[in-house]
Amino acid sequence: MHPIVHRMLFGIVALAGAICLGVVALRRGEPVNAMWLVAASIAVFVIAFRFYARYVATHALGIDPARLTPARRRPDGMDYVATDRHVVFGHHFAAIAGAGPLIGPVLAAQMGYLPGTLWILVGVVLAGAVQDMVILFLSTRRDGRSLGDMIRSELGNAAGGVAMVGILAIMIILLAVLALVVVKALAQSPWGTFTVAMTIPVALLMGLYLRYLRPGRVGEVSLLGLVLLLASVWLGGVVAANPAWAPLFTLEAKTLAFALIGYGFIASVLPVWLLLAPRDYLSTFLKIGTIGLLAIAIFIVAPDLRMPAVTRFIDGSGPVWAGSLFPFLFITIACGAVSGFHSLVASGTTPKMIASEADIRYIGYGAMLMEAFVAIMALVAACVLEPGVYFAMNSPTALIGGTVESAAQAISSWGFVVTPEMLASTARDIGETTILSRTGGAPTLAVGMAEIFNRVISGEGMLAFWYHYAILFEALFILTTVDAGTRVGRFMIQDLLGTVHAPFRQTESWTANLVATALCVAGWGYFLYAGVVDPLGGINTLWPLFGIANQMLAAMALIFATVCLVKMKRERYVWITLLPTTWLLICTFTAGWQKIFHANPRIGFLAHARTYTDAQAAGEVLAPAQSLAEMQRIITNDYVNASLATLFMGVVLALLCFGIRAALVARRIPVPTVREVGHAIGA
Amino acid sequence: MPSARDPLRRLSPTGGPWRRVVDVARALIGAPDYERYLAHQAAHHPGAVPLDRAAFFAARQAARFARGATRCC
Repeated sequence: MHPIVHRMLFGIVALAGAICLGVVALRRGEPVNAMWLVAASIAVFVIAFRFYARYVATHALGIDPARLTPARRRPDGMDYVATDRHVVFGHHFAAIAGAGPLIGPVLAAQMGYLPGTLWILVGVVLAGAVQDMVILFLSTRRDGRSLGDMIRSELGNAAGGVAMVGILAIMIILLAVLALVVVKALAQSPWGTFTVAMTIPVALLMGLYLRYLRPGRVGEVSLLGLVLLLASVWLGGVVAANPAWAPLFTLEAKTLAFALIGYGFIASVLPVWLLLAPRDYLSTFLKIGTIGLLAIAIFIVAPDLRMPAVTRFIDGSGPVWAGSLFPFLFITIACGAVSGFHSLVASGTTPKMIASEADIRYIGYGAMLMEAFVAIMALVAACVLEPGVYFAMNSPTALIGGTVESAAQAISSWGFVVTPEMLASTARDIGETTILSRTGGAPTLAVGMAEIFNRVISGEGMLAFWYHYAILFEALFILTTVDAGTRVGRFMIQDLLGTVHAPFRQTESWTANLVATALCVAGWGYFLYAGVVDPLGGINTLWPLFGIANQMLAAMALIFATVCLVKMKRERYVWITLLPTTWLLICTFTAGWQKIFHANPRIGFLAHARTYTDAQAAGEVLAPAQSLAEMQRIITNDYVNASLATLFMGVVLALLCFGIRAALVARRIPVPTVREVGHAIGA
Repeated sequence: MPSARDPLRRLSPTGGPWRRVVDVARALIGAPDYERYLAHQAAHHPGAVPLDRAAFFAARQAARFARGATRCC
């Protein structure tokens, strides 16, 4: 293409993006169409990818297409395989895309669509995608080694150990919050529970088929699995309508929590081919397929956003989660804007498949832009709902009461007009008994998606089908993450215990396996149970902790990246990683501090504990506790949460110190000191 | 994109659109192509007996959930 035409083309994209953003940001009082938001996002992504990402890749990282990647240097036909960049993109995107970018934006919608949109766009361009690309680059230059390994070799053993403990703690809290989202979505919903339970026999069937009948034929078996899953969505409706069967699948949150804990344990100790792997195949195809369908449906339907651009809850008084816009919006939307967990994936299997360093921008930066687009779609799905319905679904019972009348009254008093009939009829339309306090984000997203899908393919009862299809989509891949994550946590615990008692490291040892798995499950199970019995719905407590943890992991990865830039003698470009690092440190430390010490018991753990201690001293019992013993348990939970937040902050602070020390040492040496493999620079 | 920039064209001789879709679908779930593995073995280790399809698949599946593999939120 002629350079002038090329420039004009991007000029037009930039102008169109600016106009769309202007409409999104400035129009008030009348509903904004979602397409403005979608178009603005796409324009921002295109410009960022073409200019900023290229600048970072070419100048700061010094991408060298001639340099041999691990897959070229040591191909083994198994792990290290030079692979077409579109194929690697698919692999990488499937590995980073999880529930995070779907749930976070839904919860953030309580402040309106504008704050969330702006943070996703700015965050992904300057922080999230930069992190993913830089870590992918650094790992590619180190034989595809993991983040923990790389930190150990560039920052020292102590830093590596600290990072290992931090990653494990973050993993535990991630598993707990994801499990809680599923529990909240399935509680009191026989249709949802039946459909999700059916994924177990379907997966077992697929596992046996793949193992004994037709090994390796994943295509045909996945197709079979998908057909069976769709059938079980339909069958779930029949079960829920049957007075004999429905009660069997109508479960309390506590029962579901214990079922999940037991299931998570079993699923992660069983051979992976039997249950875990086939579920993983199903959930991955369902996830990618549904995300694609949602994108197409949003383009066809072009829905209006009913949620205002900005709500009064930016002051921190919101019912969905407590805390003001800064810092809590930036940790509530974690994964869609920047996600520390991606640094683990970017230093996992992906770097071993990269055929040329020239592909790193497309795969690292590009896949994260795609994830941000998923987050934008989730935000759209939440904001097409009537705000009154949104708040009815996401506010805890403690604030809106247990009946449609009390909920409608409470929510209308906040300025979002809604009638009891609207709440009751929405529940009826989606095939549920109630929509009140279905917190956790997943049900809200499912209603939003169902509304959008229903405007493409509608009919009698279709809304209920779409709602439960969306619940299945979310629950299936969340549960797969929980099972597989429990295994990951088990290996981490084995490694940690192995440093004390070496035999613990052996993967084949059944004792080590069972003990480490039990410890991992007990860890997330504890937080899950605490979340389930929490009067404010649990999500209110756990999601901020998870967000803080995830963003702190990102900060740790970016500190490491910054040190590497210094060691590469590319100090001129250090601002590229230092800028997001600084922002994430400010956000997470402010949020962590407030979660511990804030005077408002809805925000601060210690203030919450104090409320209960005072009541305990006066001999009173505060809801939801029904006895003084339960009061004591709530107080203990508060202290555990406060300790966990302290641990996170301590880990990051320690890594920051290690990073500063390593950077100062590297600055004094006049030649590059990074430990790369291949054609090392300066060697 | 010009194919000169894409040295992998040579790696997938039957690189039609359907093949692309299948490759991406397999990559999504970390189940790589058995034929490509055979080609690699034939090219680099002509003496060795390659794994059969079932063993190759089982080995790849185990690796996806082995120590060091990570999951995302």
